[in-house]
Amino acid sequence: MKDKKILIVDDEENIRILFKEELEEEGYEIDVASNGYEALEKIKKSPFDLVVLDIKMPGMDGIQTLNEIKKIKKDQHVILCSAYGEFKQDFSSWISDAYVVKSADTGELKNTIKNILNLT
Amino acid sequence: MNAVELLGEVIEISHSNLEINSRISAILNIIAHRMGFEEVLVFKLDKDKRITCRYSNQDCSLFSLLSKYRCHIGEGIIGSIAQKRIPQYFTYKDIPPRFGCIFFHELDGIIDRYRSFAFVPLSDDSYIYGVMVAISSEKGDLQDREKILLSVIAREIGGLIRVDEIMLSSKKRISELVTLSELGKVLTTNMEPEAALKNIVFIIAKALNATMATIKLNNFVSRFNIQRFTYGQSDPKLERFIDDLEGQAINAKRTTTLSEELYVDDEDISHYSLCSSPIITKNKAIGAMTICSSKKHITFDQNDNIAYLITTIANYISSGLENILLNTRLKDVIKELNETQKRVIEQEKLKSLGEMTANIAHEIKNPLVIIGGFTKRLAKKVNLSQTENRYANIIVNEVARLETILNEVLNYVKDTPVSREPCNINMCIDEILYLFSSDASWEKVKIVKDYDTQLPQIICDIQQIKQVFINILVNSYEAMKGEGEITIKTGTAHINNKPYIKVAISDTGGGIDPMAIDNIFNPFFTTKEKGTGLGLAISNKIIMNNKGRIEVENNVGKGVTFFIYLPLENNL
Repeated sequence: MKDKKILIVDDEENIRILFKEELEEEGYEIDVASNGYEALEKIKKSPFDLVVLDIKMPGMDGIQTLNEIKKIKKDQHVILCSAYGEFKQDFSSWISDAYVVKSADTGELKNTIKNILNLT
Repeated sequence: MNAVELLGEVIEISHSNLEINSRISAILNIIAHRMGFEEVLVFKLDKDKRITCRYSNQDCSLFSLLSKYRCHIGEGIIGSIAQKRIPQYFTYKDIPPRFGCIFFHELDGIIDRYRSFAFVPLSDDSYIYGVMVAISSEKGDLQDREKILLSVIAREIGGLIRVDEIMLSSKKRISELVTLSELGKVLTTNMEPEAALKNIVFIIAKALNATMATIKLNNFVSRFNIQRFTYGQSDPKLERFIDDLEGQAINAKRTTTLSEELYVDDEDISHYSLCSSPIITKNKAIGAMTICSSKKHITFDQNDNIAYLITTIANYISSGLENILLNTRLKDVIKELNETQKRVIEQEKLKSLGEMTANIAHEIKNPLVIIGGFTKRLAKKVNLSQTENRYANIIVNEVARLETILNEVLNYVKDTPVSREPCNINMCIDEILYLFSSDASWEKVKIVKDYDTQLPQIICDIQQIKQVFINILVNSYEAMKGEGEITIKTGTAHINNKPYIKVAISDTGGGIDPMAIDNIFNPFFTTKEKGTGLGLAISNKIIMNNKGRIEVENNVGKGVTFFIYLPLENNL
């Protein structure tokens, strides 16, 4: 599992720390970005197997970032992650691989990642 | 016999205050006594142009016999006098048997008792009112003096009848005017159309002395739940005739009568006559008014005043009804407008409240995830004692609960699009009941189904509607503390003339505190220890989004019934 690289994009530092630690424990290599621009820079520099993208962020939001990512790298796996499911109806969100509602219980996120990376 | 004295008496009587019948009879008595006639009779020309024996002197023996028959103008001596308006005098030798009329067969063997017959028309220069007959068994040929005297008196009687008829017709006119003004009052009040129509048939029936008055309105006047307004009763056998006549009046757009035809068929109804007049607004016959009367009181004739009056009344109703309908429509529109305005304000309030709530919920969610997430990590990393571990669990569980509440809140405030699909509500409820029936905790709940098997399909968002039924059923379950009876009844209903399907869900959970009943659909209102207060609020919102309505009937001490109405013609 060591070879799987995941980028976590969230404007909230503590969420980044929580997800990073939880996912590192699962054996992934984690990088973080605090906004959409930073995320795009990092994706351009080095490849990631998966991007976990928060939707509500200042500046460029998650949906815009998702569109930009797809422009750079068409087959980039992305999981949209938001406080609530309200963007599920947004057509733009459909180009992501999955949509996960943020929760203190990170089980769903972990399972979704496993599914997308074919690790089950 | 002094002719002047006699005429003086006649004039005195004729100008007295006595009732017309008494005056004529008194004059006939004078003729009998003073001029020496045993039988003095007056035949009167009726409205239907037939002649009837109406008056006689006191000792007259022929009256009961002659008054049995009626003859037409030109028929027999009486008829021909009325036609020619010239007096005729006969002696026994030249009087035709039975007065020349085939009906008077009872005169056979009686006529020969008398010697002298005088037939004098009751007429003025323009009209004929009847015929006076004076018969004597003593006299032979009448003297000219007597003939003149009879003619003068006949003219006086003719005048009496004429004045009486004018009086009668003006009385009738006045009563017609009274009727019309009463109708006018009804038609110009703000009465509900149903009440107005009920009053109208009552007034008409009374005014026309009719057995029954009925107004039928065509189906397309859909404002009304009732299509027929009736006062009085008639023979059920007449219904068919009434229907036919109404149809004719509506199709031909003119007043139509039926009377002679009824004679033939049936004795029970042969004494009725019918008259139907269309009610026309904007050149369209929207219904008909029908009067049923006993022939004793009125016979309708196309050219008759009564038919004319009925036509006038029908026209009057037409224009009045139009006003009433306009008024009602206006009232409805204003009511609807007010309701819409209220709803818009309510929705705006909810919307801004919703936006605020959504923002707050959003801001809280992240910290909550962090608290919960790290508490878990803490518990994992540090070797906690049993007690400390329990505390950590409590934090994690409470965070999970908060998350659920926040999800529900957001669920409520966000605008969920309504999908449209055909739905069989009976099946929809059955699917939910199937889920519950496999749950052991529902064992002590008895479900009574009272479905309308003919329930039409509706177009709605099935998933959302199911959510509503589940919310209500779970509420019932909780109110009954898992033990009792839930009755589910489906059917159709009308609200403001629009078709709905209606689902009634009743429980035996003791009902809702009357103090709380007004708040049950408000968000965050709950009587449960662990409720969010959103179940019924969400249900209400869903039903509103599906253009339906939800109502509750509270039976304190017994249970509640929720009524859910969903439109059949769903134009979401």
